[in-house]
Amino acid sequence: MRLLLDRFPGAVSQLWTDADTVEVQVPRDQIVETLRRLRDDDEFGFFFLADAAAVDYGPENWFEVVYHLYSERHPAWLRIRVPVDRKDPRTPSVTGLWEGAMFHEREMYDMMGIVFEGNADLRRIFMSPDYRSFPQRRDFLLPDDAADSSAAGVNPLERPETWDLTRFSEALPVGRSHPGSEETAVEADKTLADKSRPR
Amino acid sequence: MTAIDPDVRIPDPIDLDRQEEERLRAAAGLGSRGEGRGEYAGFEQVGLPDRPPQTERERRLFSVGEGEMLLNMGPQHPSTHGVMRLLVKVRGEVVTDLDPVLGYLHRGIEKLCENATYTTVLTYVDPMDYMSAMHNEHAPAIAFEKLYDVEVPKRAEYIRALVVELNRVFSHALMMGFLALDMGGITPILYGFINRDETVELLSSISGQRMLFNFFRVGGVNWDISDEFISRLSTWRSNVAKTIGDNELLLTQNEIFTARTKGLGILTAKDAVNLGVTGPNLRASGVPFDVRKAHPYSIYNELEFDVVTQQAGDTYARYLQRVAEIKQSIHLIDQIVERMPHGPVQAQVPGIIRPKPGRAYAAIESPRGLYSVYAISDGGPNPYRFRMRDPSYITLQVMPKLMPGHLLADTMAIMASLDPIMGGVDK
Amino acid sequence: MEPDLLLGVGRFVLATTLLLLLTVPTAFIIIYLELKVIALMQLRIGPNRVGPAGVFQSAIHGFKVLAKEDFTPDQADRPIFTMAPWMVFMAAAMSMLVIPFAPGLVALDSEISVIYFFAIIGLSVVGLLVAGWASYNKYSLLGGLRSAAQMVSYEIPLTLSIVGVVILTSTLSFTNIIDWQHHHGWAILWQWIGLPVFFIASTAEINRTPFDMVEADSEIVAGFATEYSGMRFGFFFFAEYVSLFIMSAILVTLFFGGWLAPWPFPAQLGGFGGTIYGLFWFLLKTYFFVFVSIWARATLPRVRVDQLMGMAWKVLLPLALVNLFVTAIVVVVFKL
Repeated sequence: MRLLLDRFPGAVSQLWTDADTVEVQVPRDQIVETLRRLRDDDEFGFFFLADAAAVDYGPENWFEVVYHLYSERHPAWLRIRVPVDRKDPRTPSVTGLWEGAMFHEREMYDMMGIVFEGNADLRRIFMSPDYRSFPQRRDFLLPDDAADSSAAGVNPLERPETWDLTRFSEALPVGRSHPGSEETAVEADKTLADKSRPR
Repeated sequence: MTAIDPDVRIPDPIDLDRQEEERLRAAAGLGSRGEGRGEYAGFEQVGLPDRPPQTERERRLFSVGEGEMLLNMGPQHPSTHGVMRLLVKVRGEVVTDLDPVLGYLHRGIEKLCENATYTTVLTYVDPMDYMSAMHNEHAPAIAFEKLYDVEVPKRAEYIRALVVELNRVFSHALMMGFLALDMGGITPILYGFINRDETVELLSSISGQRMLFNFFRVGGVNWDISDEFISRLSTWRSNVAKTIGDNELLLTQNEIFTARTKGLGILTAKDAVNLGVTGPNLRASGVPFDVRKAHPYSIYNELEFDVVTQQAGDTYARYLQRVAEIKQSIHLIDQIVERMPHGPVQAQVPGIIRPKPGRAYAAIESPRGLYSVYAISDGGPNPYRFRMRDPSYITLQVMPKLMPGHLLADTMAIMASLDPIMGGVDK
Repeated sequence: MEPDLLLGVGRFVLATTLLLLLTVPTAFIIIYLELKVIALMQLRIGPNRVGPAGVFQSAIHGFKVLAKEDFTPDQADRPIFTMAPWMVFMAAAMSMLVIPFAPGLVALDSEISVIYFFAIIGLSVVGLLVAGWASYNKYSLLGGLRSAAQMVSYEIPLTLSIVGVVILTSTLSFTNIIDWQHHHGWAILWQWIGLPVFFIASTAEINRTPFDMVEADSEIVAGFATEYSGMRFGFFFFAEYVSLFIMSAILVTLFFGGWLAPWPFPAQLGGFGGTIYGLFWFLLKTYFFVFVSIWARATLPRVRVDQLMGMAWKVLLPLALVNLFVTAIVVVVFKL
């Protein structure tokens, strides 16, 4: 653990540890170089990328990409946290080091909208290709009804106007400027409750 | 293969659906899709266009050359292990390219768990990898205990290890059956289910359920085991060798089975590590990485077992690896039953757990590999972030590497030998 | 018209009608056997609800396919799509014409019934191929092409493997082959290379496990039958089991003395009694080989396409040729 501080004087900060994990923060422009040294240097030998996940610390804060590494040489998991600006969610890809990071990064892109620069195959993995939102962000609406969220419209069966065919002629409850804004959502909720819920 | 024109978008099925939708909307007198609806600001924030541009890989996949054909295997297909779609490009019967299309079973469990209390999270993770529900509960339980800083009683740890190893046995037994089933042998799966049925009956006698056990609690387990359970376990112990042995008799020396699996889909150790493959698939390639040994959790450092490896890395080695691990698991079960201490099975924890803010990472060895949980607490009753790394999800990445060049019939054999469970893949 | 001709035509019409009707119970019995035998091998109970011990299960299956919607895909080639199951079923039913069930119980006692049989049974491949093509489905197409490849390569060892018997008996009529075996003992005594070749090749020819690539359900859904439902699928289903019966019957006829009992035929049993006695032995032996096929299905996984082809050309064909030459030399040298 001390080794980390010695070897990466500029890169690592915020050292923290618990029973079986060592945690450091690395700025995003140094992450690939740091991981490469951790993997290739014999004194570290973190050959295995156990996990790569993204965390959203809320709309006012930042994203974080978290890597967990395993080494036979050191008994603890190494957790590397990389803060990513929420306004410009870009971070370098580590698929050049571990090809297996591909699905991790595709998932992070799909769920959080973090763009990994240098990833050759960054596309949605769980949601359909024309889906237009990032469901695991903290500001993603989580309504009781999928119809109230921006997830509406993915599947024709999920769209309220298709549930009752006689209502096709009526006007749609549209006009929400932003699903995240409170008042329009409430208004739309009322309209939907009046008209389009299947009874 | 024809030259790729970067400007030409090859229509894929999703575009066709969209056309159909526009037609329906026009017929109903509605505007086009998205008209008047507020758009979520996600893409604008990162400055992406409506749909991200096709990647190089996509372009290569969708450009169909002379004599090639795109074949959608799934999501409804007799042997895709759930609802996975394999987009296969075939030339005759030879697979030239392949891409797994996921998400048909995506339930957003991570998001659900962020809105559930720590206790209920343990019920949400059950249906992920439905073949090994006990393992699914194990990792979050460990992570939450780290967060809440609670000591698990020794007896509870032993019971946990016992049920987890029982679960591993039937999961591997079923894998043997599924591998045979995907190659047309219909009997081994039934023998596997005989073993599974005995085991889940056993487990349901302590947890109350047969498939999604919901047995683990933060700080212990739900119920203590009784003497009756121990006696039933010894009956199970005397039967298990026979049910597994029957399957081995049908498969291990079978001429057709060996001819079809030996040398098929060879995964080298270097590739396996690079692609993040874990568990029996990794060990079948010769890398002795087992979380139980490499990073002991629970009571595994007190027990004695070997990390078995195979050298070949082919489908047959992955099969043999499962058989060998079943034997190790039975060996472990024997030790656990022998050393089972007395005492309480549940630490004192309140009904609603509010851990101090912090982060915890817990990894366990599930039957499919390294299953890990990364939980962040903000001091409230719900986890702030709950991340699960499911081994079968990562393992799926090797399919485009292993399968091209093999016949269509082999895709299913290779996939069954990797043993992905779609419930875990799609979270 | 002459009375002889009229009698012949009447006999032929009666025989074909009876045989056509016979396909239904035959298929029912084999389907039930397969359900039950595989269930017992897999430590299950199997059908036990419909009738005593579930004996009417396959009849219920038959009614089920009758009651189902007869579905045709939008872009399918309708006439061919409709005709294909009919072709496959008729190939199976027509080849039953020449099977000698018992003394005097053969619909068409022709001098060239062996050639007729192998000509007609080969027709079913055309049905499968056009079924795969007309369905407008990629899985069906793969299945159809697999069936074409498989049958074309297995026709050759299949046909060559019986030439040994034909040389030995110097006749092309199934009844005469049985007659010869009545006098000289069963052909298996000489044709112990021909039998395995014939058995493997015929299993491949009728798409039974372990050679059921044509409808390999774990790879290409149901092969040529993917888009078929209702009674059209029922025809394929029936044809498969009828041809299983036929292949076992021909195997018994060629190598195991047909209706002959394992010991000398009692001479005093002529006429009706002899027919029943012969039929009993014939069916017993035939259903034994049906059982062997079901047994194989419960035990073995499926082989791969390239392994299947390799075996046909590299193993079975040379074996059949060796068998042919050795038989010919022995016949010439020993003036059998």
